[in-house]
Amino acid sequence: MFRGQRGWFCGSVGQDLRRFWVAEGGTISDSRAADFLFSCDASHPDTLRIYQSLDYIEDNATVFHACYLSTVANAEIKSSVALGHFILPPACLQNEIRRRIGSFIWEQDQHFLIEKHGEV
Amino acid sequence: ATDNCTKITKYRCSGCIAVGKPLNSRNFSKLLHSCPYQCDHHKVIVDAEDRYKSELRRSLICNKKILLTPRRRQLSKES
Ligand SMILES: [Zn+2]
Repeated sequence: MFRGQRGWFCGSVGQDLRRFWVAEGGTISDSRAADFLFSCDASHPDTLRIYQSLDYIEDNATVFHACYLSTVANAEIKSSVALGHFILPPACLQNEIRRRIGSFIWEQDQHFLIEKHGEV
Repeated sequence: ATDNCTKITKYRCSGCIAVGKPLNSRNFSKLLHSCPYQCDHHKVIVDAEDRYKSELRRSLICNKKILLTPRRRQLSKES
């Protein structure tokens, strides 16, 4: 599923998700070279560095919640999980966003995400 | 469950559906910005992130000015 893709992992991401990434063909790289940026905690210093980078300011770096990987791992059709549902915005914006849209998709029941794609 | 159903219909912009080229951290933000029909969910996130980014950009420019000013002064003294 992730063959040839380079992933960067914040210190907040557990080993099992990194192992899954590698098992699916992904490699682990530094944040500048990575195709994918994964984090579980927007206020972790590793992730804060991304939010303060020029790449981020110039719209070249979107951080995704690493529960994307666990959702993929649990999905029947791995490619059916929409990456776009797992944007992880900076921690200082999250409360404001929550007030307007309710909970983030990655905060919701993950079975709902899988079933939803099954129905389409 | 009904609450989820109404949410499902709203999650339908190019940020929600992977179209054509594979998405990653490098192209996702540009894809969302180029989507004319952002869903509520993505619109709110994009708006908030854009505001955050422009604040960062402004503070970067300010920092640069602070760094440059004394150097310029030194140069004018030398000349
Ligand atoms: Zn959307």
